[in-house]
Amino acid sequence: MSLMALREQLNMLLNSMYIEGLLDQQFQQLQMLQDASSPGFVAEVITLFCEDAERILTELTKLVDQAVVDFQKVDAYVHQLKGSSSSVGAQNVKLACIQFRQFCEENNKVGCLNALNVVKHHYYLLRNKFDTMLQLEQRIQAYDSKQQN
Amino acid sequence: MFEGGVEVRVLVVDDSPVDRRVVEGLLKRSGSMFQVIAVDSGKRAMEVLGLTEGKEAEQPTVYDPKIDIILTDYCMPEMTGYDLLKAVKEQSCRKPIPVIIMSSENEPQRISRCRAIGAEDYLLKPLQTNDVLRLRDYVRPTALSPKTGTKRKIAIEMMAENSGSERRPCLAGLAVA
Repeated sequence: MSLMALREQLNMLLNSMYIEGLLDQQFQQLQMLQDASSPGFVAEVITLFCEDAERILTELTKLVDQAVVDFQKVDAYVHQLKGSSSSVGAQNVKLACIQFRQFCEENNKVGCLNALNVVKHHYYLLRNKFDTMLQLEQRIQAYDSKQQN
Repeated sequence: MFEGGVEVRVLVVDDSPVDRRVVEGLLKRSGSMFQVIAVDSGKRAMEVLGLTEGKEAEQPTVYDPKIDIILTDYCMPEMTGYDLLKAVKEQSCRKPIPVIIMSSENEPQRISRCRAIGAEDYLLKPLQTNDVLRLRDYVRPTALSPKTGTKRKIAIEMMAENSGSERRPCLAGLAVA
């Protein structure tokens, strides 16, 4: 695939992510922070986010599965995930976390179980798209490096 | 490269690795005036500052934390940003360090509470470039090295607390609880 085709594919992917609500303008802020002195900034932040999110989702799965749910603990984790998703522009994940916190406040176990599934759904959808995005960026960078040499 | 200016040493305190990295990126992108030290807890921040929690007797003879401004998250486990703010302000008679609180929650009571014990500002997360640029307004570095290499004492007037953007909750103008 040509460099132009790769760039077009990346642009289309990003546009679709904005249209579908996976990303909001905070992600553009991240992209603006990437420059020659910090070329891998976005990839680094995405990686940190995914590691953090999966750690939190693992903990949440254990907590919500308990016979007696510690809603305060659950809420604390959801708050963390809401924060990091907000920082990277992961809009749908953030909104799902807001809803999740509502169920925590109501001490609603069924609500929390459902909300967790919704968060997971949005997160894994986003992660797949992030994976594709980073692969495309790597291919573009490889092309650019080749051309410079 | 920042030429002819001074470096502002910012201690960023946040338990979220994502937020630490993003804030660090924002600070560095805003100009090489910022030297960033990032830690993941209030306890680590205290170590960097050379503070021992609640033990005045063990303070070093020369209190020189080498930090010009602290930017701390509010919600952290064990030692919250509020706890850190309180500890820092209790030491401020020796060398005042501005403390800016960051939080994703826009809660007037929380803001008032922080203001009441001396927080210079309260910023909503996620931080934007404008927020970071405002940090310069709160700094009073006393012994900074310009990038040109000459060491000299510099006194910079602390700006009035009423600076700030329209959309961020500014501490000025809020009734203190």
